[in-house]
Amino acid sequence: MDALVDRLDRIRGTVAPRNHNARTIAALTNNPGCGRRGLMDAAGVNKGAVAGQLGFPAAFGQSRFAIARGNAFEAQVKADGAAELLQLLRERLGLAIPEVAYDDLSSVGGNASREVRYARTRNLLARAAAERDDAGTLFDHPMLRLDIAGYYAYLEPDLIAFRVGGRFHVVEIKSFAVIDGQADPGKAAAAAKQSAVYVLAMRELLGELGHPPETVSHDVVLVCPENFANRPTATLVDVRKQLSVLQRQLSRLTRLDQIVDALPAGLSFDLAYDADQLATRPPDELRKAVGTIDARYTPDCLGSCEMAFFCRDEATGSTSALGRSIRDDLGGVESVSTVLGLARGTLTPGAGQEEIAGLLRLAHRLRTECLGSGRSE
Amino acid sequence: MPFVSESISAPHDAWSGSASAEPGRAGPGTRIELLERRIDRLRGDLRRAATTGDRAQARTLRAELRRVEHAWDAALAELEDRTPAARQHPAPPILSIREQVHHALTLLSVPAAPKLIIAVHDAFFPGELVAARLTSLRRDEERSFKVAPYGRPYYLCPALTADLLSPARGLLAISTWPLETRVVGPLSARVDFLVGAIKVAERVAQLPDDAHDARRLLWRFAAGIPGAAPAGGGGPGPVDPATVAGRAQAELDVHIEADAADRAAAAARAHDRLDGAETLFGARLQRLRRTAT
Amino acid sequence: MSVLTALARAEAVESGRAQPLTTVRHTHIAQAPLVLVPLALAGEAAAPLAAMVGTDRDAGRLLVVANPRDRTQRFEFVAELARVVVKYLDGFSRSLDAGHTSKVRYADAPQVLVPNGGGIDFVRLLGRSTRFRRTYGPHPVHRSVPLLGQWLTFLRERADHPGSAMLLAMTEVLGEHWATGQSGLEDANLAALLGWLDPPAGLDGAAAAALAEDPLRWPPAGPSTDPTFDNEVLTPALAAYARAADPQGRSRALSALTAALQEQVEPTWGLMWRAVDLLRARPPGASVEGRWAVDRDVFTVYHMSLAEGTALPQPRRDSAVAAAGRLDRLEREQARYEAQRALDDPLIMAEFRLSGEAFTGTVVAASPNRVDTSGKKAALRPHITVQTDDPVRLEPGALLVSPARLAQQATVVSVSSVDVVLELSKGMGRSTKQPAPGSVPQVGELVTYGPVSDAYQPPGRFPSREDTPWTHGGPPPDPQPTDSDAAEDWS
Repeated sequence: MDALVDRLDRIRGTVAPRNHNARTIAALTNNPGCGRRGLMDAAGVNKGAVAGQLGFPAAFGQSRFAIARGNAFEAQVKADGAAELLQLLRERLGLAIPEVAYDDLSSVGGNASREVRYARTRNLLARAAAERDDAGTLFDHPMLRLDIAGYYAYLEPDLIAFRVGGRFHVVEIKSFAVIDGQADPGKAAAAAKQSAVYVLAMRELLGELGHPPETVSHDVVLVCPENFANRPTATLVDVRKQLSVLQRQLSRLTRLDQIVDALPAGLSFDLAYDADQLATRPPDELRKAVGTIDARYTPDCLGSCEMAFFCRDEATGSTSALGRSIRDDLGGVESVSTVLGLARGTLTPGAGQEEIAGLLRLAHRLRTECLGSGRSE
Repeated sequence: MPFVSESISAPHDAWSGSASAEPGRAGPGTRIELLERRIDRLRGDLRRAATTGDRAQARTLRAELRRVEHAWDAALAELEDRTPAARQHPAPPILSIREQVHHALTLLSVPAAPKLIIAVHDAFFPGELVAARLTSLRRDEERSFKVAPYGRPYYLCPALTADLLSPARGLLAISTWPLETRVVGPLSARVDFLVGAIKVAERVAQLPDDAHDARRLLWRFAAGIPGAAPAGGGGPGPVDPATVAGRAQAELDVHIEADAADRAAAAARAHDRLDGAETLFGARLQRLRRTAT
Repeated sequence: MSVLTALARAEAVESGRAQPLTTVRHTHIAQAPLVLVPLALAGEAAAPLAAMVGTDRDAGRLLVVANPRDRTQRFEFVAELARVVVKYLDGFSRSLDAGHTSKVRYADAPQVLVPNGGGIDFVRLLGRSTRFRRTYGPHPVHRSVPLLGQWLTFLRERADHPGSAMLLAMTEVLGEHWATGQSGLEDANLAALLGWLDPPAGLDGAAAAALAEDPLRWPPAGPSTDPTFDNEVLTPALAAYARAADPQGRSRALSALTAALQEQVEPTWGLMWRAVDLLRARPPGASVEGRWAVDRDVFTVYHMSLAEGTALPQPRRDSAVAAAGRLDRLEREQARYEAQRALDDPLIMAEFRLSGEAFTGTVVAASPNRVDTSGKKAALRPHITVQTDDPVRLEPGALLVSPARLAQQATVVSVSSVDVVLELSKGMGRSTKQPAPGSVPQVGELVTYGPVSDAYQPPGRFPSREDTPWTHGGPPPDPQPTDSDAAEDWS
């Protein structure tokens, strides 16, 4: 593993590694087959900077209003010993009145390192898991970590681990509204994925201490504003599916050494910053380096990966650039020109392409019949 | 009987019981002055005892000092109680931010986060507490203390975490409060919330019905206490101060013993391990000093 | 999606232009649609920030909320929007459809066009957050506020009905008619989509779409704004308004804010009308008018019931029975809509031909005078044999119809690899021996047969509201909006 870490360090170059967070780990699972993202993330490469140097700056950014709203809601739910949260947990999960202990795991005095904070989280959670019933109920700001391809990714979730009946639940506070029992499906799905990352990290922590995985429940408590007001509501979300996807993806990542072995020696994404912090790596050279690892671009990448605009450009002319379902409809044929060649009968179908070629020829005949042959071809 | 509950249920007993007879008959204004002089004297004695290494004497003096400081707080609260007229009229006296915070904290009688301090101030006291200025307050207080230790009758200092005796994130307290009040254990956030609810309810009960900010604040507390707010109500509705206080006390009875024990144990450790400045601003100060020299 | 549309996308990639997915327009486009481009404040559930609204492309009205978190200003904005929208809606109640005698129907109905699915959602949320408000009580609002809420809720509900054209998301309408050379996800950007449909001179679709992704050139079509706009422009503009001490300063700050927001919505406003032009340029399908008549009926009934105070309540959530009944209705409407489109449009029918549910071919044999005597009464049941290259996947007994002879029913008798034998009934005149001239396809005629469209499908049977089984919560209480609904926070 150490050799791999060394190699990843060299690939990243002279800058400090970018840390994973729950969102980036969840994004890994969106497109597990993408070797490029897997490698760049494992090496802690600043993908946004690389994409920018390649001439495809990522259009990511969050509105200040959204950030402010998120922070304010979270602060409100956690205020006064998490009074609002306690009330919700009492009403919805039948939390008993005496269960009110609140430990803020971020206060360790002074500027403690991640390792120190992780140790403190570990201590307190270990005591809570092993000991008596009154050894804690709410644990705010736990520091967790996950092994991502040999690196420990530290996760500092703004969440509360909540213990009831000898089990921990992850409490995720999100500021998108639940209106008449319904939330934005995309946001709810993203929240479930991120929570699954935390559940996994907590299970790993407690697993190292000999506790079975069930010690951390797969039911996550999602706290959101209800309707149009600021009052919170809690929903139990089952993240079993997200967990198993996540675990499968993470186990795949451990095979990273194989990817790395196949790469040319001396490969590096270093941007060669000069004294003024300007990247001096020639874009052509960088493009060549990035191109040595295959990407698996899909349009979904546009919302979750800083490299997406570069990869999209690279994927021009491929059917996957049109979306997974289109690619499937086209029988998995990879290039648009092959599709058109098969449809027009100017290409002989390769092995295994006979069926899709027949369908494409029929589709082509039907479109021509209906639209006339004079249309653009 | 744990000290904390004493400070909750009968804050004035502490004063009348122990704070000597001499200021007893005077009005609260004079009483405060007398108490302040006494505090100064005690502090001087305490510092002497600390430098000569007389721990036993220092502990006695500290306890005495704590009682007098508490009495001072109570007298101040009483002074405010007696001058409701001044509150209702405009043109409030220009108070410093530390005085404003002191008022709000004294009303609550427990450590509180800036947000709650502002809400309490806005609900019960005249003038506006500028939130932005709160952020630098703690640092200013610590600096002032370093320049002239115990030069002020009170300091606004962080609450201390029970386990590490380091500053608790975002919780302010008054230096004159006993350590048992200023240290916070796992149950303290809830206990202090309930104590605050009782204090706010008591104060709201004395106000007219149209004190909207105060009633809204009380509703906020009530919403977090089982049975304190009318069921089914959507938004902020009318809540009965006596019900809120009663329900808060009922839940408080569940937690108070364990919390008081935690706090007392932590306070005892603090007495043993921390010097004067550290008992106010936390164990962090020690490390800072060490790195500075 | 199918091979046919996927192939069209591939063609678009190659040609650099969007490719048609239909030969006709399947959506009604009103004479005077109301275009609505809403913007919302990021991070909030439904905090309106601005909206451009109107029926005249040269006179869009820009409404702005100077302090989007202020309840009063928010309701003022809603009231202003209501004035425009309700006036537009009421305008349709002035003339009746003279040719329609059986029941009252207004001559026309409103059509509201929003840029994208987010716009539809905004309509839902704004409707939900305003329809329970009251004009009296602790938080009184202008009477137009709950009225707008009811209308928006009504429109949003109609948008779920396949074939309804009262509230449409432009990207979705365009996407049903054209295939671009990009993914469906990217089609959600109206500017990029129109880049493929109608690229500026000298650019191909891909280049135009790439330009359209630059938020500085083409601001997002809402309701979300571009984050950099929020951070760099909107934040200081809102702050300047909040800081302004005197009326003069406020009005200066407001006009600066308005100008900034205008720059964000105006490009989309222009795109919306360009899209309207593109759609209008296509001939409507034969059944478009019929579907619009349904919209007009539904609008007429709702408008009159609102006026009479008998409009059904719009509860926060449907009861179990209502939800099941609604789903059943929507499914049947969907099937009918698809069949109608296929009969209107050979390119849609081609989807059915591709899957073997329909076929086109030449009549090679016909026995127009064939009489079936097996029943009690002799009946005219001609047989025709159609030779086709299409991959027919039909079983004997399947019911079909031909776009050329909608009144006639065809039943599959047999299918071979080269031809299909059909038995015809109905639509041949009164005689039991001799079909009316031209009513039976002749040898040599090119014919298409596809799935039956408007075949009567019995509605699903659901218990009445009172008989809701206990497994579904029992009979629901009457949805009566309460005081707390009316006073609900909106922050």
